[in-house]
Amino acid sequence: MEEAVRIGLIAFSAAIAICVPALATAWAQSRIGAAMAGAVAERPELAGSAIIMVAIPETMVILGLVIAFMITTLKGT
Amino acid sequence: MIEKMAKVEIIGLKDVSMDTVDAIQDLGTLHIEDLSEKIERMRSKRVTRMEVDKKSAEYDAKLKELRVKVGDMIRELQPDVGEFSKKDIQREYEAIWRDDVALLISRIERLLSEVERETIDPLERRADLAMELARLQKYAPMMQKIQPLVERVAGSAEMASIALIIERKYKAILNYLNEEIGKITDGESEVAAADVDDESTAALVIFNRRYLKQVHEFLALQDVNQVRLPSDLAKKPIDDAMDEVRARMAKIPAGIGKIDRELREATEKYSMKLIAARNVIHDRIEAMEALPKFGQTEQVFIISGWLPEEDVKSMERVLKEKFGDTVLLAVVDIREEKELEETPVTLRNKPFVRYFEAIYMLMKYPKYGTVDPTFVFAIFFPMFFGLMVGDIGYGIIIMILGWLAHRKFSDKPLINMIGYMLSVGGAWTIVFGVIYLEFFGDLLEKAFHAWHIHLPLLGTETSTFKLPIIRIDAFEFMLVACCLIGFLHISIGLIIGIVNGVREKDKKHIIEKAGTLGSLVGIVMAISKMIFGWMPMWVVIIGVLLFIGGMVGAGIGGGMGGVVESIVGAGNILSYSRLIAIGLASVIMAEVANDLAGEMWGGVFGILMGLLIATILHSLNIVIACFSPSIHSLRLHLVESFGKFFEPAKYKYEPFKKTGGEG
Repeated sequence: MEEAVRIGLIAFSAAIAICVPALATAWAQSRIGAAMAGAVAERPELAGSAIIMVAIPETMVILGLVIAFMITTLKGT
Repeated sequence: MIEKMAKVEIIGLKDVSMDTVDAIQDLGTLHIEDLSEKIERMRSKRVTRMEVDKKSAEYDAKLKELRVKVGDMIRELQPDVGEFSKKDIQREYEAIWRDDVALLISRIERLLSEVERETIDPLERRADLAMELARLQKYAPMMQKIQPLVERVAGSAEMASIALIIERKYKAILNYLNEEIGKITDGESEVAAADVDDESTAALVIFNRRYLKQVHEFLALQDVNQVRLPSDLAKKPIDDAMDEVRARMAKIPAGIGKIDRELREATEKYSMKLIAARNVIHDRIEAMEALPKFGQTEQVFIISGWLPEEDVKSMERVLKEKFGDTVLLAVVDIREEKELEETPVTLRNKPFVRYFEAIYMLMKYPKYGTVDPTFVFAIFFPMFFGLMVGDIGYGIIIMILGWLAHRKFSDKPLINMIGYMLSVGGAWTIVFGVIYLEFFGDLLEKAFHAWHIHLPLLGTETSTFKLPIIRIDAFEFMLVACCLIGFLHISIGLIIGIVNGVREKDKKHIIEKAGTLGSLVGIVMAISKMIFGWMPMWVVIIGVLLFIGGMVGAGIGGGMGGVVESIVGAGNILSYSRLIAIGLASVIMAEVANDLAGEMWGGVFGILMGLLIATILHSLNIVIACFSPSIHSLRLHLVESFGKFFEPAKYKYEPFKKTGGEG
């Protein structure tokens, strides 16, 4: 029973580690995406930079995924 | 690498100024400097901005007028530009070009009047027919709705009718009209309506002819559209008018087709000449518009600009041959910081690296005198791509697709470059696929699961690491490896920053970049103990000292910004963990495709379904693999690495030349 609770908590922690940064990334991307869409409409030559700008907040969710993956490796310890 | 440029000043007698401009435009190597600002700042007013004389201004205006006319004519004739070869257009261009502007203008005017003579009549007839067709198409649905309403009053000579068109959302106004017209006509009226389409409603007001004037006056005050038929149809009974409209609508397309056939001959005969004329006009106007960028004194003109060092001699020779001693070329020494900043930049890279210059579609060229980092991008961009995707099967497909795009679109620079970059990325994907033993996910791993090579690795916990590296199992190892690759990538950026500082003789810049590099090395040494437990303690101590020393150095060189940058550098290294994170997402999706297909396996139907599912999911994964890793690889360059040293150029080298038109 204790082991089951422990594994459940580890899984829950991993889920939070990925879920919160994913929400944060989505929020940031929505703001940046909308702003860049406006900018590209005015100056189409910014399209390339727009793609990079939108990709910038993805760092959060990527680090979240790394942390989540590391948490799941705690199972065996 | 950045092309070595020379700054030149061309000075000559004003009599030959326009001929000199023509010669320079023919050579097409000089990037002209706009001297107007410098002249304004001069104390001495002996040198002034070159002004366009009255005659040239007239020519300029005439050429601009001709440009509009030729452009309109090309649009009217609608030639298939793709059919013409550049060579043929160039031949026509040379036939039209004359150095004497007056002669050039008269040739183009002659060409235009010749084309107009043959095309103006059919073009006008076609435009009339098209307009009539549009008008009849507008009437047809209205008349169709009104016709049955009119038939109700057709028998009575006492009754008159007026047709109206009302927006459907204002349909309620019909009740008001009915009421008001009823009052005007003492109840001898009726309003009938039928919807024409989603937006409009046709209505017919029927009333006693006695009140015709009053009803017209009333309707004129209301905001409603009365349907007015073409004058030749207005007096006909609606039935006859309807038949007439249908007959005309059927006839017009054939008429337009006939005129188009007539015009096709003229299009074939004149299109290429017109396109060449448009190009000639464009280049001539460019030459005239360049004049105000030059300087002049009473006797001489001054042209200043840059060109690649190796082209200086040929320009000198051409000017000498054409103008003798009346025009002189002098090379100016560019050593001052301001001059370096103003120098336009062009790149000259080896073929392999040249395709990776596509990155400059997202950013400016590097500043003149600094290091061109395209080679760093050419090495690391496809490597990062391969490291993330890492699958033999995917790599083969991406490489083939990239190469096909590269070959097929040789005339479209962007797709051509991206295709090349993808094919190199595909090759790296195969290399990493072998290291990970991945072929469409875990297919090979399942087949050879017992096969492993154990290699010694710097005395890690087990003193060995296994090949192939199964990414999901070896996550921690890959995480460390990716961060070390990131450390290397950022360090290269900082070393380029130091080289830039040395080239620009900027000591503070050198100290800042060296300090940031030192602090970065220090952090890596300090935390290496956590990964390689056997490392002696003195490595950690030196690392910490180096980190602090580096931070101080960065502060001395770059102020508070330098200190922050040296700390942020550690965060930048962590950003490279995306190399394994995105790779993991890709491999897990590939494995899901294989597992789902495996569950279906069994029997002919099961095998077909399994293959279908595997094909769809792997195709989707390959498409995602083409986009996401490219974007993240790009970002690692633009933000993490290039951000450490990149200084953008102010100007791109754009030589003054005959462009061959506006494209």
